[in-house]
Amino acid sequence: METRALIGKFLLRICVFLVFSSTIYSILICVAGEILPKYLKRNILYTLGSVGFTHTRLEEAKITENIDILFLGSSHAYRGFDNRIFQKHGYSSFNLGTSSQTPLQTHTLLKRYVKKIKPKIIILEVSPMSFEADGVESSIDILSNDLKDLNSITMVLNQNHIKAYNTLIYSIYRDLIDINKDFAEPPNKGGDFYISGGFVENKCNKVILDTTQSIAKTINYSKTQLKCFEAIINEVRELNMRLILIQAPITSLKYATYLDNTSFDEKMMKYGEYFNFNTLMSLTDSIYFYDSHHLNQLGVDKFNTEVIIRL
Amino acid sequence: MLFNSLNFAIFLPVVFIVYWCVVNKSLKLQNILLLVASYFFYACWDWRFLFLLIFSTLLDYFTGLKMPAAKNHRIKKVWFWISITVNLGFLAIFKYFNFFSSSFAELILNFGLYVNPWTLQIILPVGISFYTFHGLSYVIDVYNGRIKPERNLIDYSVFVSFFPLLVAGPIERATHLLPQIQKKRIFNYRESIDGLKQILWGLFKKIVIADQCAEYANMMFNSPLDHAGSELILGAIFFSFQIYGDFSGYSDIAIGTAKLFGIELIRNFAFPYFSRDIAEFWRRWHISLSTWFRDYLYVPLGGNKGNMWMKIRNTLIVFLVSGFWHGANWTFIVWGAINALYFLPLLITGKQHQNQQIIAYNKVFPSIEEMFKVIRTFILIMISWIFFRSETINGSFIYLSRIFSETLFTVPNFSGVRYSLMILFLISFLLIVEWNGRKEEYAICRIGTLWITPFRWCFYSLLVFLIGMFMPTSETPFIYFQF
Repeated sequence: METRALIGKFLLRICVFLVFSSTIYSILICVAGEILPKYLKRNILYTLGSVGFTHTRLEEAKITENIDILFLGSSHAYRGFDNRIFQKHGYSSFNLGTSSQTPLQTHTLLKRYVKKIKPKIIILEVSPMSFEADGVESSIDILSNDLKDLNSITMVLNQNHIKAYNTLIYSIYRDLIDINKDFAEPPNKGGDFYISGGFVENKCNKVILDTTQSIAKTINYSKTQLKCFEAIINEVRELNMRLILIQAPITSLKYATYLDNTSFDEKMMKYGEYFNFNTLMSLTDSIYFYDSHHLNQLGVDKFNTEVIIRL
Repeated sequence: MLFNSLNFAIFLPVVFIVYWCVVNKSLKLQNILLLVASYFFYACWDWRFLFLLIFSTLLDYFTGLKMPAAKNHRIKKVWFWISITVNLGFLAIFKYFNFFSSSFAELILNFGLYVNPWTLQIILPVGISFYTFHGLSYVIDVYNGRIKPERNLIDYSVFVSFFPLLVAGPIERATHLLPQIQKKRIFNYRESIDGLKQILWGLFKKIVIADQCAEYANMMFNSPLDHAGSELILGAIFFSFQIYGDFSGYSDIAIGTAKLFGIELIRNFAFPYFSRDIAEFWRRWHISLSTWFRDYLYVPLGGNKGNMWMKIRNTLIVFLVSGFWHGANWTFIVWGAINALYFLPLLITGKQHQNQQIIAYNKVFPSIEEMFKVIRTFILIMISWIFFRSETINGSFIYLSRIFSETLFTVPNFSGVRYSLMILFLISFLLIVEWNGRKEEYAICRIGTLWITPFRWCFYSLLVFLIGMFMPTSETPFIYFQF
């Protein structure tokens, strides 16, 4: 046989094998997801009803429309922007923050929900951490708790992480057999209370502040996260919505982890309206925080009042 | 670029398609493509060291041309020693300078004098030990008249830099690889399928066996005092399979990749953990390095000629140099010395050439005696790996003394002990498949050849599934990249 024909046969055989192997792989992932104990499923992380009430929040997002403000971001967002305070000042809002959300997931959620929710203002919580993270934890959180569509596949392809691929396969299988239809997430978990509109209030009085000073480092921007962030900015501009970038307060010790906070501020300012509340406000760690990353309700009140002044 | 990375999964098919579909009409273009691809592959790690690789290639290429053209033997010898000195000089600077400097300072300290060791902040260029040895073998062979010098610079450069073997071998010989580079290559369907199978098996060994074993081996070797003797034995077993899975996995991927381009590389591993004695182990472990040292060090030293003391001296030198080749640390030298000590009784009693045939060749299972010999050899090798893996010699002795403490017979109980049982199960799977394929070039070479295609493909898919289930969250470099 001629060389070209042989190569064609070879490539075709590889393609057929890839289809065959992908099918077997998917079946085995579903079986493993069902029968294997958790410690053997390191690469299938299905987190239905996880710590940040993602399932409840995304269910609520599906029936939310025409609001003033949409919050997006990590736990700094869903534990930092209290819908009740904004309501008191006449702003209806919804908090679409999820655990460890990075621009990659923000972009997915934005594409999925923004046209339906139709907010006037989008407040996007940004931090150096979200530009450094690979975002796997957050992708898995969203894959486990939300619908699967083309945006999910794009997110997983951008993520390009085996855990995200496996979780996507397993969560599609669970959706197909409708195994989660009776799942109801409790409204409170270990001191965390879900407030309608997406906010999570921590009513646990325990304060856990990390007091160890870690070695300061420079921000190592992920190219994927930067690309997604720019896509978010462009899409919000196309929708003619007001976009405000906010860096939520964290403890002063945590904030000092990065050497180049100033250059981060300058970078963010280039993208539009930006406020860094670590420099705009002075919050005593032991009074206003319940852990190194999150404000207590006293801190949330103060922070949100400052945000509202700037709207 | 790592073999177990997405970048390589894109790089390889692109080069393959261009190689067979675009430039297949011209051998020269195919070789240029291989060279460009190889330099790109290397530059992905650190482009600055590409100049070192090119310099080393040019030096050996011109030395090869100059030696036969020299007017007399003295000039030929001068060229020869220039090449040897510069090549080994690079190795000495990049790999051994800090070791010599600090060892000298420690030696002086023993005489009551303190010298601040002068160390260099240098990065070890990946693959330097491998491509230096490629070049050296070529120069030595040309000097001894075993081969004619290569006049085509592109062909010679491909021989030194061919990307599958560039960073961690197998260490090829000009006599074996250069003729293949010079010859027109025709796409071979069966060889290519075989290459893909070998790559799959290599990935399984690296990702499922080596990377999983690494987690627990690291845990044990990083803090031996926190673990019981029984756990440390488990750690040593895990490291034995980590280094085997890692390095033989790399070799399988390299050999399989080369097959896709119609090039056959020399075998590097032949199921070494089924060896019945140390001599057999060394005929089956890192074969390309062992034979390199045999041909370019042991034989020139006198080899088996001369009296027993000469043989013992030559064997000791080869093992010590082999240990030192692995890294600039006394632990590697001691590792080499231990293996020499294991080997010497066989040499003295003249039994180093026994066990040439594959174990249990015409049988399904080994005999009790064979089983005992295999386990005995594995235990000896495992003990030597403790020195290889430890950071210091003192650390090795701490590890060993902790193994043989009163905690040896306690039930292992560390974090992730249940998961480690899973790894032992995977190791058992590896051993069963390897035992079944021990007569072949690699374990799954002929597995299921009598089965109908869907069954055979199910087996390959199972390997793909295991890779997907156990793939580490970040790309893990191969151990031998540091050597």
